[in-house]
Amino acid sequence: MTNKIFLILTLFFVITFGYAQNIVLKGQVFDAKTKEPLSGAYVHFDDRKGGALTDVYGQYAITVTSSGAYKIKVKYIGYEEFKKELQFTAGKTTVLNISLTQKTESLKTVNVYGKGIIETEISSRRSEKLANNITNVLSAQAMQRSPDINAANALQRISAVTIQRNSGSDEAFAIIRGLEPRYNNTLMNGVKVTSPDPASRFISLSIVPSDLLEKIEVSKTLTPEMEGDAIGGTVNLVFKDAPEFEYFKANASVGYSGIFLNRKFDAFDHGAIQNKSVSEKFGPAYIAGPGNFSRANLDFTKQTAPVTSLLGFTYGRRFLNNKLGFIISDSYQNQYFGTNSQFNIAQLDARPGKNYEPVISDVANRIYSTQQLNNGLSAHLDYKFDDKNKISLDNVYLYTHIAQTRLSIDTSILGGNGGRVGPGTGTVFNDNRSFVQDQYVDNLKLSGKHLLSNHFMFDWAGVYSNAIQNSPDRASISINHLINPDFSSTPNYFNNISRIWQKSGNKDLSTFANLGYKTGIGNDNTIELKAGGLYRHSTRYNNQNAYTLRPAPSASGGKSTYLDIYSANWVVYNVTGTSVSDKANYTAYEDITAGYGEFKLSVKKLEITGGIRFEGTQQGYDTHPVVLDIRSNAKKTYTDVLPGLQFKYKLNEKSNLRVSYFKSISRPALFELVPTPTFGESTDVTGNPEVKHTEAQNFDIRYELFPRNEEQFFIGGFYKNLVNPIEFALSSLSGGQANTSPQNFGNAKVTGAEIVYSKSFGKMGISGNYTYTYSNISTTKIYTSTDASGVSTSVPKLQSRPLQGQTGDVLNISLLYKNDKKKAFIQLAYTYTSKTLALVYPNYGYDYYQQPQSFLAISGEKKLNKHFVFTAKINNLFNTATTIKIGNLVQSKDLYNASLNMGFRYSL
Amino acid sequence: MKVIYKIFLPALCTVALLSSCKKEEVTSFTNIQIPSASPIAAGNISGFIKGTFLKGQVYTITSDLTVKKGDTLASQPGTIIIVKNNAQINIMGVLQLLGSKEQPISFNSDSNMPGTWGGFQCDTAQAITIKWTHIDNTGGPDASGSARGTLKVKKAINVDIEDCWFTNGQDDLMAIAKGATVTILRNTINSSGSTDGEAINLKTGVKGVVAYNVIFNQAGSGVKLETSSSVPFPQTEVDVYNNTIVSNGWRRGSAEPGRAVSVGVNAIGHIYNNIIVNNFHGIELFVDGDMAKTTYGNNLFYASVDNYTDQVDSTQKINIRTNFYPASGTGSARVTDLISKKIGDFDPLFVSFDGMVAAPNGYVNKYDFRLQNGSPAYGAGFTKYNQDLGAYTTDAKGNQH
Repeated sequence: MTNKIFLILTLFFVITFGYAQNIVLKGQVFDAKTKEPLSGAYVHFDDRKGGALTDVYGQYAITVTSSGAYKIKVKYIGYEEFKKELQFTAGKTTVLNISLTQKTESLKTVNVYGKGIIETEISSRRSEKLANNITNVLSAQAMQRSPDINAANALQRISAVTIQRNSGSDEAFAIIRGLEPRYNNTLMNGVKVTSPDPASRFISLSIVPSDLLEKIEVSKTLTPEMEGDAIGGTVNLVFKDAPEFEYFKANASVGYSGIFLNRKFDAFDHGAIQNKSVSEKFGPAYIAGPGNFSRANLDFTKQTAPVTSLLGFTYGRRFLNNKLGFIISDSYQNQYFGTNSQFNIAQLDARPGKNYEPVISDVANRIYSTQQLNNGLSAHLDYKFDDKNKISLDNVYLYTHIAQTRLSIDTSILGGNGGRVGPGTGTVFNDNRSFVQDQYVDNLKLSGKHLLSNHFMFDWAGVYSNAIQNSPDRASISINHLINPDFSSTPNYFNNISRIWQKSGNKDLSTFANLGYKTGIGNDNTIELKAGGLYRHSTRYNNQNAYTLRPAPSASGGKSTYLDIYSANWVVYNVTGTSVSDKANYTAYEDITAGYGEFKLSVKKLEITGGIRFEGTQQGYDTHPVVLDIRSNAKKTYTDVLPGLQFKYKLNEKSNLRVSYFKSISRPALFELVPTPTFGESTDVTGNPEVKHTEAQNFDIRYELFPRNEEQFFIGGFYKNLVNPIEFALSSLSGGQANTSPQNFGNAKVTGAEIVYSKSFGKMGISGNYTYTYSNISTTKIYTSTDASGVSTSVPKLQSRPLQGQTGDVLNISLLYKNDKKKAFIQLAYTYTSKTLALVYPNYGYDYYQQPQSFLAISGEKKLNKHFVFTAKINNLFNTATTIKIGNLVQSKDLYNASLNMGFRYSL
Repeated sequence: MKVIYKIFLPALCTVALLSSCKKEEVTSFTNIQIPSASPIAAGNISGFIKGTFLKGQVYTITSDLTVKKGDTLASQPGTIIIVKNNAQINIMGVLQLLGSKEQPISFNSDSNMPGTWGGFQCDTAQAITIKWTHIDNTGGPDASGSARGTLKVKKAINVDIEDCWFTNGQDDLMAIAKGATVTILRNTINSSGSTDGEAINLKTGVKGVVAYNVIFNQAGSGVKLETSSSVPFPQTEVDVYNNTIVSNGWRRGSAEPGRAVSVGVNAIGHIYNNIIVNNFHGIELFVDGDMAKTTYGNNLFYASVDNYTDQVDSTQKINIRTNFYPASGTGSARVTDLISKKIGDFDPLFVSFDGMVAAPNGYVNKYDFRLQNGSPAYGAGFTKYNQDLGAYTTDAKGNQH
């Protein structure tokens, strides 16, 4: 329904804006000194409506309705304003090429208005140069030019950022400087967004379409005014703001995942999913019968995969003498993708002469077919009372729908109940699952900025954030058969079915305010003092209701054979479900109170930013147990004092040297304290109330060089000492599903270096970044060995290893070819990540490592006319496998093939 | 002199006669009984509890019962415990149920239907002793909807279970792991496990003895020995001898056959003197068990039918005899084994048994697995353990049920 309305809307815009033109003004805007074309510059008539943004080639075209004299103006951040008066005659095309001169000095006074268009690469570089802390900024323009559909893909191109993905899904979280997503913060417009995901604190970056974004800021060091719970860094997704001119952009493309050229898409009947569980429908005392459960959602059929479609538009303008502005943006993605996965279970080989090396005990092949529909709607309204006061209302609404089939074939190779004597024999389990999930994230922010006097600025915000995840009727069926030593096979037996209704919600209410004072000391020096505070109250709930369906016993009391889902007979084992008794029905909360004081002193070439932040935390949960249990209710309180001090020394106009120290923390997610398993797509997580929050001391140094526009060179190093890092330890692997638990294993040291470089040579451009990170932590493992006298023991032994989720080498390189005459772009993007510790296992020398990966993507676009651009993108050209190994043993290997997208972009 | 002699002799005889009538000294205390230190009053009980169930009293457990660490729950003989509302008994302290042959203790649900209460969840208990106790109809679903084992222990403690009856559980009956020392003697385990679950499942470094038990009609295996795959040492090492193991391993379906006894994952078994009749598989020694140290012999294998036709899928004809030592395992017949080649050959001659192969969960065991005179099981034993085979032996060591 939503998509149909959307489609009509898009078509309407395309048609309305596509025609009616007579007098045309066109030309190119470029830098006066470098002669580089400037994209995103706003060319308009001073006293009339209309105007245009320059495209990526610096070109623009404006249509005029009546002849006469017009005053042309060009605004571009960081450049002097251009003004010229021109005479137009009907039916004639006027060409005007405009050169702009860069401003030499940045503004010194606190300014609240004049946002300008800050989407471009040049302003990104400027933000990096002017920022108080160590940041990398990716602009919308850079995102638009590269094959990035969502924020996750885009982020991969920022230095020292890697994206963690789950096999079989498009879920993605940022790893900054080789540190796990948990050590990083994801913000939207500077505020935290609650997660619909029960197992994590943050939203998956893949559900934020890159079209909605003005820029992505990654801060690798924190200033006291920033929230202190980021050790690796903070990712801030800045959504588009109301422009000073009428703005409209739309895009539409279709795509296909290469995996479905080789196999079918496994579909099931979504209509058979019952939104409410039996006890929700009929009350908690209702005795469920076999007929209360649907069957068609466990009937898997092979279909041709539908085409992926992506649509998006952004529209904005200002009214009332530019006082009131709005921008609305919607991005719709309906993607079909799949993963072919091998998932093996390993154990110590206790057979004679095998020396307790890891050995594969079970082999499972998992085939995922996933439909993921994302819709992101973002609206922004701002009202400028005057030059000194502005209030804004932002609302971001994200909707994600996932429907996934997982077919798994699991063979036991050793022991168990199987009895395998060689390849092709033993018990074979078929575990098939259908799964539907809806996620809703709503983030409403009301904020204001007030310049109280020339010296005082006050800003404030109130944020309401609500995330809901609803996974009704997750249905899994297990059947099995035995291939005897003589290769004869038994029929399939019906093992069991589980039906789980799960719903969780996370609600945040936060408010914060900052007061700043800024004054000059002499001609060259300024001092800025800032103080502020924050209060946030978060609550979370999880409802879970599970029913176990067991095969109706045969005449002899045994399992019955399984032909198909429609003829299967079952009995309901737990007839009233688990909603009353299950500890997974918990509530949790987190209250954060924070305050800070910060100063920024600019003395000629030196800038010192420092201060101190206090963060008080209260966290807890209650599993509302029917039976008393000591771990059913817990509360944690802690206060952190977080000092920070940063130096920026301006070596000359084009280069900076930065040195910084700050202390920061990482809190366990609300769920991670609750000692009950929550189900994931391939990993279930059982919380641990004993887990402690992580504290870190961070030291950074960076040299920055900005030789020309869109060019940069950074080199830096960092050292972090982490007390109580939280890592995931593997508890069990069964039925193609892993169970992990968060734990503290001690203290870790992380140290690394990074280099960022980008340069253009005529039509060619290259940009690359490389990060090396080393981390070390020592933990106790179980070591099994046989001594000289033949006595075997399993004893504790200390093992040194990298931090979980930490990647040693991260390399991103992109090559750009830009032909201004033919109005064409081609970009090749390459990413390399080295071996990463995926999971900590209790046995010595037995950890699970994700193997090195190389990804290649190609994207291109060609401008067809004033309004239309043809775009094409191919991702994952190498069909890179995600492989996890123990030593040389393959534990899992996921393949999802290349995917292609092509379409058009329309701009006003 | 003669007169003296004549008087003295009868006197002496009288004394001798009288002295033969003399009785031993008897001391008796009448009507004084030492009360239990912390008696538990009969009636409804729930929540946290310690103390002693009193002889002959009736107790009703209305919701989960928990014995805290350091506390003891004891029972005198003859108590009757009725469990309602699918409750379970959590033991973190000491459990000591001391019934007697004349006055056994009884635990059962109010509905007396299979799978209607939660059993003994003793993962972190300090000691478990259960003697002469009936434990029936355990295995109802737990809080998250899964079946519960009847008696579960995951700690290196002594677990002593003697002369008890277990009937109609739903999953594993005894699941004991993590280094416990077991003494499982002379018990009778009937018709347990719905479509899965072993009777005696010993894992992760368990040591001890499983002997003189009768295991009848279990869904999965009779006795299963394994060590943990992640902690292969210390190894599980158990003596499994003189058990009578009949008609087990059918309900899980032929894709996962149950065994009378299995040894896998680096465990060691010493398997002797067992009578193994009509089980899906007999003794299965998996390739990953510690076969260098596992020893076995003197076991009697018998099948009362030539081919068992699966009642679900009649195309499945199972030759029980070829599965005494199944091809999927590494074990093979020992010279000391008594292996039936046809019906009547090495029939153990149970006092009453009609040749039942597969029966439902909850099936009433109406059979008597004592041996008739002339049974080949007599005198065929490995004498380190017993001269006879099976749970019922001619000496006093055997099963008393």
